[in-house]
Amino acid sequence: MEKEQYQQLEQSVTPKPPYFKNAAKAFFVGGIICTIGQAVSLFYIIFFDFTEATAGNPTVSTMVFFAMILTGFGLYKRIGQFGGAGSAVPVTGFGNAVISAAIEHKSEGLVLGVGGNLFKLAGSVVLFGVVSAFFVALIKYILVTLGVVSW
Amino acid sequence: MMLPIVVCMALLSGCTEKEKFIVYGPPQNEEEVEAVLKEEKFVERTTVIQYDDKMLVAVQFKPWDKWKKAKLEKKLQKKFDEKYPNKDVFVSADYKIFYEANKIKKDQLEDNKLTDKISELKKLAQEET
Repeated sequence: MEKEQYQQLEQSVTPKPPYFKNAAKAFFVGGIICTIGQAVSLFYIIFFDFTEATAGNPTVSTMVFFAMILTGFGLYKRIGQFGGAGSAVPVTGFGNAVISAAIEHKSEGLVLGVGGNLFKLAGSVVLFGVVSAFFVALIKYILVTLGVVSW
Repeated sequence: MMLPIVVCMALLSGCTEKEKFIVYGPPQNEEEVEAVLKEEKFVERTTVIQYDDKMLVAVQFKPWDKWKKAKLEKKLQKKFDEKYPNKDVFVSADYKIFYEANKIKKDQLEDNKLTDKISELKKLAQEET
């Protein structure tokens, strides 16, 4: 069998991924997570001295904390299976990535296993976040200095 | 069984007409202030608190205008500063400030407590961390 023939056969046999269904699921799961996030944010605004501008920080940490607990109990993977990118793109995906790596490497010991692999997946998120934030801030600083935009 | 009823109630509760422009404090120029705010199309709800020669203007913008919140806030602040040059006006579009302003109105705070509360709110609104 030629290579091209094989590819044709393979394409005819593989089931078509339900793109639209997946996108819809991701949309709703992501939307529900964000609604919970909004509720947490409102909770901090109403019951604590946070404004709309400052409530973001405690909200993010609370959402990551929720995701970590759900991961620990093995519930987040079910949400992930159903929602796909909808559960990975919000900040809760970060908590899941940290804790799932920690659970996976627990057998290798606490220091080299858990400690060394805790940021195996999430490390890239932190790294690229920090680096891109640096460059965006640099570009904005240059633009402000040139007088194109204001802060 | 219960869920559709709850959803319907939640949706319908949005239909009741709420008081959208509130001015609280000693009656001075309530209607004038209200007119100034009603002029702007991007303002959805406001609560204004007047005391001494100071004024706290808490506004909520319409959903699509929230993208330009900082800009519109500044615009409104400028407008009030020009209109009332001898008053100390503080404009904020933050939900926290709006919520607290409504709470002040509801609780009918005393004058000395009011001043403390509002200076506290101003400090909160300017915090950036």
